[in-house]
Amino acid sequence: MALAGAVAAVQSLPGCGRSRSPLQRGRITFGSFADPALDVLKEVLLPEFEKATGIPTEWVEADFSGWLQKALSDGQTKAGSFDIYVLDDLWVPRFAGAGYLANLDEMGFHTDQDFVPTALDLGYWPPKVGLRQPGLDPKAKPALFSLPLISDLQLLFYRNDIYSSGPPASWDEVLEMARQKSDPSKRQYGWVSRGVKGNPVVNSYFVLLHDFGGKIFGEDWKVVFNSPQAIESLEFYLNLLSYAPEGVAEFDSDQEGETLLQGNAFAATMWTGWCGQTDDPTKSRVVGKIDFAVPPKKINQIAKLGLFMAGIAASAPNKAEALEFLRWFSSSPTQLKFARAGGTPFKISAFNDAEARKKSRWLDAIFKALLLGVPSPRTSDWSKIEDILGTELNKALIERGGAKEHLDAAAAEATAFLKSAGYPAG
Amino acid sequence: MLPLLLIAPTAIFALAVTVLPLGYTVLASLQEFPLVRPPAFVGLQNYQNLLHDANFRGSLGTTLLFTVSATGIEFVLGLVLALLLKEEFSLQGIIRSTLIIPMVIAPVVVGIIWRLLYNTDAGLFSFVIQSLFGTNLSVLSSTTLALPALILVDIWEWTPFMFLILLAGIQSLPQEPFEAARVDGASPWNIFLHLTLPMLRPVIAVALLIRALDAFTVFDQVFVLTQGGPGTATEVATLMIYKTAFRFSQFGYAASMAIFLLVLVAGFSAGVTRAFKERSV
Repeated sequence: MALAGAVAAVQSLPGCGRSRSPLQRGRITFGSFADPALDVLKEVLLPEFEKATGIPTEWVEADFSGWLQKALSDGQTKAGSFDIYVLDDLWVPRFAGAGYLANLDEMGFHTDQDFVPTALDLGYWPPKVGLRQPGLDPKAKPALFSLPLISDLQLLFYRNDIYSSGPPASWDEVLEMARQKSDPSKRQYGWVSRGVKGNPVVNSYFVLLHDFGGKIFGEDWKVVFNSPQAIESLEFYLNLLSYAPEGVAEFDSDQEGETLLQGNAFAATMWTGWCGQTDDPTKSRVVGKIDFAVPPKKINQIAKLGLFMAGIAASAPNKAEALEFLRWFSSSPTQLKFARAGGTPFKISAFNDAEARKKSRWLDAIFKALLLGVPSPRTSDWSKIEDILGTELNKALIERGGAKEHLDAAAAEATAFLKSAGYPAG
Repeated sequence: MLPLLLIAPTAIFALAVTVLPLGYTVLASLQEFPLVRPPAFVGLQNYQNLLHDANFRGSLGTTLLFTVSATGIEFVLGLVLALLLKEEFSLQGIIRSTLIIPMVIAPVVVGIIWRLLYNTDAGLFSFVIQSLFGTNLSVLSSTTLALPALILVDIWEWTPFMFLILLAGIQSLPQEPFEAARVDGASPWNIFLHLTLPMLRPVIAVALLIRALDAFTVFDQVFVLTQGGPGTATEVATLMIYKTAFRFSQFGYAASMAIFLLVLVAGFSAGVTRAFKERSV
């Protein structure tokens, strides 16, 4: 009944049944999750867009999970409550695959060489590279269904008074520093992480998995996150977490960030949305003492992507206006303004702008990390796999051991699920 | 014809808000909604999968444990409080009002309050344990403590509800049998056991039923406090349904879980109602 209720609830959302006279420009209704990283867009860029084009805008937001529910319901019922969906990049396969997003190529949107390629690629469906979900035409040409909105990814945040000679180049250096300088009696910890089951712990572990040479899926969707490299990476992670605060298995982003900003941890891989807070004396006790870098290296060196994307709803009542916004926002001059106002852009020229870099000293690290970025696997079933893996990772964190057993258990469950969902996993 | 016409608006409204969504959910439970393909009718496949789903069985077990423990303890505490506070005394109003405060706080806010209390680094529980035993206590990341911690939150929030219903029931009991028992020299314990409890049976049945049904569908506190973790220690059925539908987009499977839960809850309420009716006869 709740499911049916959710569908019905969409009808009462703002924007439903909007109409306008032929002379009026339609109001663009954005649907989004709430996140401080969107503040510059909402407070600086949207008023400028309205002034420049005469197109009014409306911003409707909910918490992360709540917005996903609303957006899925809107897409499913074609209610047309929103013109632009703000999406986590891992939702793109679900929304594009289900036909909830308008095809931007068909609408006449043209990309240019100034886009950071790793950011732009996230907007295509089927994906431009990598595995294709069963049920998709193997010959289907990738089409653009969404554009980057905010370049969010996981950077290494580290204390420059602890790592006085610059960022740690390798994971072994991080462990060694944690071993040498951690002092729990003074609440000084070498590392802090998110340990909550599901998405948080998987995102924290994802970088280590790849850096140690592991992967989530091999050929034909074979689950390989229990490979020897993956086991080694989890054992390393558990070892590193012995220098983290007690109870890290229950930490989500808020507690992780708080631990770092209170000066209790030396380093962490965190979402770039936290960068601005490190220099805010009302939120940080270590102003100026936190620097940013691409996460360290083992065999590989990657950064976990988690970009905010924007797609036009297939049922949007104001598609032309929404497209106009995307063109305007993704243009290089607007991206420059966005970066100079403190936003995180997705155009190369904006990242290279000296004034923008001065305003946001973390932009250089974000740009470098973006080029090494790896996204979540491009399948609409990733959330299920993430939940399975995240539950076992969380158990390993609580037990502070059993890396192989937990990864094997997760791999077996994930394989069974994938087979039942029609994947050739074996 | 006129009576039918008169009742029609109410009947249509009732159909629209109860039967239609229920019917839609039943229909959805017989389908699968793969996002990259059109929806397909799968018959009873979702229900068949449900029977073999160890995670769902586990979540039902957790839900049952949560419901029985929370409702049982809330009943005992509520009854004790109702018996203690049934007589008139000074400050009675203030004490009663204070007792019901937890009940009027939104469950999500309750979750946030307790998340802070249980915080390993700065929470009250951890502070007390640290002061007494010199060690930290990670309540929500302990597979043995997380579920009792959630039960404690439910007890804190909903014992006042049990207390209010039982107090109203006790105060509405006729006084004559109690006076007669006292004149005959019955002890307070015997009066409670042989008069208060039997006479209070219908009220107890309603209170237990309402609380059990509510506890069986607990979601908010679990969502805010543990997200079902650590591991699967607090993964209740409603959370699993929510995740299956809105995180994994398996709407058909989630609908079959919801219907299964509905049947279970309906069967339980019918059983409890019948049991109390039979005993009252």
